[in-house]
Amino acid sequence: MTKKTLEIYSVELSGTKDIQQTDKGNGKEKYRGLKNCFEPRKNHYKEELRKEVDLDDHKLSIKELEKKYDTNIITGLSSTQAAELLARNGPNALTPPKETPEIIKFLKQMVGGFSILLWIGAILCWIAYGIQYSMNTSSSLDNVYLGCVLALVVILTGIFAYYQEAKSTNIMATFNKMIPQQALVIRDSEKMTIPAEELVVGDIVEIRGGDRIPADIRLLSVQGCKVDNSSLTGESEPQPRSSEFTHDSPLETKNIGFYSTTCLEGTATGMVINTGDRTIIGQIASLASGVGNEKTPIAIEIQHFVHIVAGVAVSIGILFFIIAVSLKYQVLDSIIFLIGIIVANVPEGLLATVTVTLSLTAKRMAKKNCLVKNLEAVETLGSTSIICSDKTGTLTQNRMTVAHLWFDNQIFIADTSEDHSNQVFDQSSGTWASLSKIITLCNRAEFSPGQESVPIMKRVVVGDASETALLKFSEVILGDVMEIRKRNHKVAEIPFNSTNKFQLSIHKTDDPNDQRFLLVMKGAPERILEKCSTIMVNGQKQPLDKNTAEAFHTAYMELGGLGERVLGFCHLYLPADEFPETYTFDVDTMNFPTSNLCFVGLLSMIDPPRSTVPDAVTKCRSAGIKVIMVTGDHPITAKAIAKSVGIISANSETVEDIAKRLHIAVEQVNKRDAKAAVVTGMELKDMSPEQLDELLTNYSEIVFARTSPQQKLIIVEGCQRQNAVVAVTGDGVNDSPALKKADIGIAMGIAGSDAAKNAADMILLDDNFASIVTGVEEGRLIFDNLKKTIAYTLTKNIAELCPFLIYIIVGLPLPIGTITILFIDLGTDIIPSIALAYEKAESDIMNRKPRHKKKDRLVNQQLAIYSYLHIGLMQAVGAFVAYFTVYAQEGFKPSILINIRVEWEDSNVNDLEDSYGQQWTWYQRKYLEWMGYTAFFVGIMVQQIADLIIRKTRRNSIFQQGLFRPQYWFVAVPFAILIWVYDEVRKLFIRLYPGSWWDKNMYY
Amino acid sequence: MAALQEKKSCSQRMEEFQRYCWNPDTGQMLGRTLSRWVWISLYYVGFYVVMTGIFALCIYTLMCTLDPYTPDYQDQLKSPGVTLRPDVYGEKGLDISYNVSDNRTWVHLVHTLHDFLAGYSPASQEDSINCTSEKYFFQESFQAPNHTKFSCKFTADMLQNCSGLTDPNFGFAEGKPCFIIKMNRIVNFLPSNGTAPRADCALLDPHEDARPLQVEYYPPNGTFSLHYFPYYGRKAQPHYSNPLVAAKLLNVPRNTEVLVVCKILADHVTFDNPHDPYEGKVEFKLNILQ
Repeated sequence: MTKKTLEIYSVELSGTKDIQQTDKGNGKEKYRGLKNCFEPRKNHYKEELRKEVDLDDHKLSIKELEKKYDTNIITGLSSTQAAELLARNGPNALTPPKETPEIIKFLKQMVGGFSILLWIGAILCWIAYGIQYSMNTSSSLDNVYLGCVLALVVILTGIFAYYQEAKSTNIMATFNKMIPQQALVIRDSEKMTIPAEELVVGDIVEIRGGDRIPADIRLLSVQGCKVDNSSLTGESEPQPRSSEFTHDSPLETKNIGFYSTTCLEGTATGMVINTGDRTIIGQIASLASGVGNEKTPIAIEIQHFVHIVAGVAVSIGILFFIIAVSLKYQVLDSIIFLIGIIVANVPEGLLATVTVTLSLTAKRMAKKNCLVKNLEAVETLGSTSIICSDKTGTLTQNRMTVAHLWFDNQIFIADTSEDHSNQVFDQSSGTWASLSKIITLCNRAEFSPGQESVPIMKRVVVGDASETALLKFSEVILGDVMEIRKRNHKVAEIPFNSTNKFQLSIHKTDDPNDQRFLLVMKGAPERILEKCSTIMVNGQKQPLDKNTAEAFHTAYMELGGLGERVLGFCHLYLPADEFPETYTFDVDTMNFPTSNLCFVGLLSMIDPPRSTVPDAVTKCRSAGIKVIMVTGDHPITAKAIAKSVGIISANSETVEDIAKRLHIAVEQVNKRDAKAAVVTGMELKDMSPEQLDELLTNYSEIVFARTSPQQKLIIVEGCQRQNAVVAVTGDGVNDSPALKKADIGIAMGIAGSDAAKNAADMILLDDNFASIVTGVEEGRLIFDNLKKTIAYTLTKNIAELCPFLIYIIVGLPLPIGTITILFIDLGTDIIPSIALAYEKAESDIMNRKPRHKKKDRLVNQQLAIYSYLHIGLMQAVGAFVAYFTVYAQEGFKPSILINIRVEWEDSNVNDLEDSYGQQWTWYQRKYLEWMGYTAFFVGIMVQQIADLIIRKTRRNSIFQQGLFRPQYWFVAVPFAILIWVYDEVRKLFIRLYPGSWWDKNMYY
Repeated sequence: MAALQEKKSCSQRMEEFQRYCWNPDTGQMLGRTLSRWVWISLYYVGFYVVMTGIFALCIYTLMCTLDPYTPDYQDQLKSPGVTLRPDVYGEKGLDISYNVSDNRTWVHLVHTLHDFLAGYSPASQEDSINCTSEKYFFQESFQAPNHTKFSCKFTADMLQNCSGLTDPNFGFAEGKPCFIIKMNRIVNFLPSNGTAPRADCALLDPHEDARPLQVEYYPPNGTFSLHYFPYYGRKAQPHYSNPLVAAKLLNVPRNTEVLVVCKILADHVTFDNPHDPYEGKVEFKLNILQ
């Protein structure tokens, strides 16, 4: 029994060992297997780690410290010393991440991915004009216009994208507001308050509960100080601090307080040992800035698309260059044809369409509390195949909450949802009455005043996390706790300390007939049990026998196994004869019994999962997304949370679970039987990249616990090696390197640290993991819809290109001009293709696997071929029929058009004969040519309507998808006719009665 | 560029490419097995045959709907264009320049006129009939041989001094050159309401002191006789020749470039289209050196 108890506590010890060893080792070993291209970064990690390990101030004695930093713990630094140090080391603040200059950001928008294609197109146009001009100074300016329009498109789209980005950066800026921090420092033997920025190494600072620790400090003297290290290590429990050196690792030792963590309670005095960027937090922040930004999947896809388009353009161009040369065109003419073909292949409108489409989705996502910092990240979430989620604050509520109770030999479940509203356990037992009294009275936490209107769970509490949890728990169940405490006046109190491991208080009871004092005590369960001789069952005192003790241990083990923090509660009514009303209790001499108490019950607390998370995890699962938990917290807690949110599903077991169930050694278990794995930082440290790959592929449910920021990076990289698109969620500073490394980093908007938000691509404004699911859905939808948009846009490319090819080979009058093509690409086609972004999903997109990065391309061979060679060709044929019809009905039958090009375009031929023997001047022909353009244009347009309709779906019938009912097109037709008739009447009267009243009023 | 990031060596790429061209394991060439290639080719052959068929059918139907004698629409040919012979084009439009004393500079101009008038020799006009009436020559039915309509003769000799018969140099040698003005054909076009259209040449924006241009027209008055109109189209009038007017410019100033404009004066011929310099008129630069 005791052995098992030890196991629970050993967790903490082994956990600390992990982190210490990891920190020392992983930088050198983990990156050995990586490719050479990571060399510079590898060195960077090493350097960072070396610094971290260098910190040995926690091992030094106070005297040595004083010597090292040339200070005195009583008088502090002199102000001249401080000024000197400040000048030398710089202010105690994190260097903000290097801001990219606005102009660079702007230029980036101008030349990224797609834009480059348009730029090349524009430049080619100008070159073509240059060639034409050198041959004939009176050549048409079409190419110059085209080039200018292309440039204009890029610039306008760039401005738009830049504006979009700037807008979300502005929203970010509101997060960055930081209240200037003050620090209480001893200088020149005087206590003074100075801005925390002015702290220097060697300063002696005092901190109190509620303060943010202003720098990395070595604690010199401590009174009941606890700190919240969750942003640094991911531990949601408050960490006690002391002035003793307890651990080799600076991260684990108790005598170091870290910059930017919060002191929850107690007071402490410490010496500043590191400031600004040299603090642990500063080092992690710079680690994040050392991680390069990965290209977003959509950027890769667009690049791939550009390759395809460029490939098609260049190969058709060269093919027709050869044909043109062999048709005895002049080489310069052929070069102009070549350029023309390449430019004709550039989908001018697509850049604008994609940008608008993405920003529409970004807007839609922002409404659902996903703020996208980078437009391209909109789609990334849709292709995500692995989510590495931080535990604290993301999956959990980041506050201790009462989860279970044990009394009357029974475990009760408390409601851990965000509002605690639904406490259903049996409250009728007498034991509960006693237990609730202990919970209420043996508690020093208090609500900050003036919060009556705030929901209980949201009120601010002064006190540590577990006391807060107990306070809120009792407030919800019993009502006004402060009132109860007032009625049961406290006469004596021993606060919790680490040697006693209990907390005790003595109260007058609120029962006027009962003159006895009530002694209540809570603390570590085994300590509490030691002090008890009886146990309360169903409100009755019973002797504590072996059976009940065993029941206690079973319950304790079970709750501990859930990763919960367990507290024991006991009480004793002090006999009135021994302790009369006037008795003075002395907490130092302990003139009251602290043994033979009556054990009442156990209560366990956990940082509970957010209530929306399990559902969201299930949805991710069904969407084929693997959810991996990566946390700095203990494996047991991590596993418990993982189980409760479904990251480890109810029926899957880890290797250890199987071993335990079958009573065999862990080594004997067939690893294939286990679906889940819990891996600690220590185990991860010993793994080669290959082993990590194997782990990631073999287990579908993985929890990484006790991981360091560096290891989070390694995990993300491991996932990326599996060709997965990795999303990382996190809120702490320790998450920021991984957030940056991930394909999409998702930071928490409320709980997130600035470092995390800066590193992330997306911010969940409501900190709700479930919002990710919405994001995934939108991302997938936009990918599908972009596919449709591109298919729609590409189709007409062939219809626009064919005329030019036919013109070169067959010598017809040019069927469609450049400006007309632009009018289609940038005019009539833009709105329909944007409209496709609003297309609803064809089937349940959340029930299919995420796309494979390398196989499911945005633009694949099938899409290109179907658009170009099937639909595009039909379109071209249709448009040509329209073109031939116009020419034939005007007098030029198709047969006469063949090879007419040279004469047709010669402005000196003014009597060109048509099929009917009529003679045409150049200008008359030109006019006919323009009519031909219009015919061709209208031909394409009409077919693009059909193209638009077919692109609504890729698999389903249009009739399944639903279409605007055709009859509604005709509802307003009578009114259209009415307008027409009315206006004809108006004109008739104007013509009939010039100068009349009607004419004056109605003629415009 | 994505491929570049993967940092494959050249030999690796070549190997991959080779494997793509011919994969011995799966028997795939360029990503498909032979039978797959056959199937896909058959599909495409079928697809394109059908598309070609549809296209051919459309064109065939279109041709069937066309009237063989008159085009469906003539909205682009409201007014006929006018051309000039000899036609030598410079940087901008017609530009005729020659030296009277150097016959090498004008012999090609004369040659052009002779070539042009070859089509108006009695021999080439023998299928046409002689017309004397000065009215429109309407023909409702096809009375000419081979189901056609008659065309009126226009022979070079009608141009008298500018016919090249009396003066084979068309007046170029003495600095009084002949220019032949031709009006474009338009099916069923009637130039005026009864009076014959007539050519009229003048200097374009003459100097104040310049003398007006003296022009001799052949046929007299520079008229296009109405019996050449209307034109019934190539199929109905296979032997039709455009009527011509020759303008002999008598007092062209020497050694200066003058801009001459010859307009067609008729009710239904416009010459003020700002976009089309050849509609209803023809302008040319003339520079006679001595």
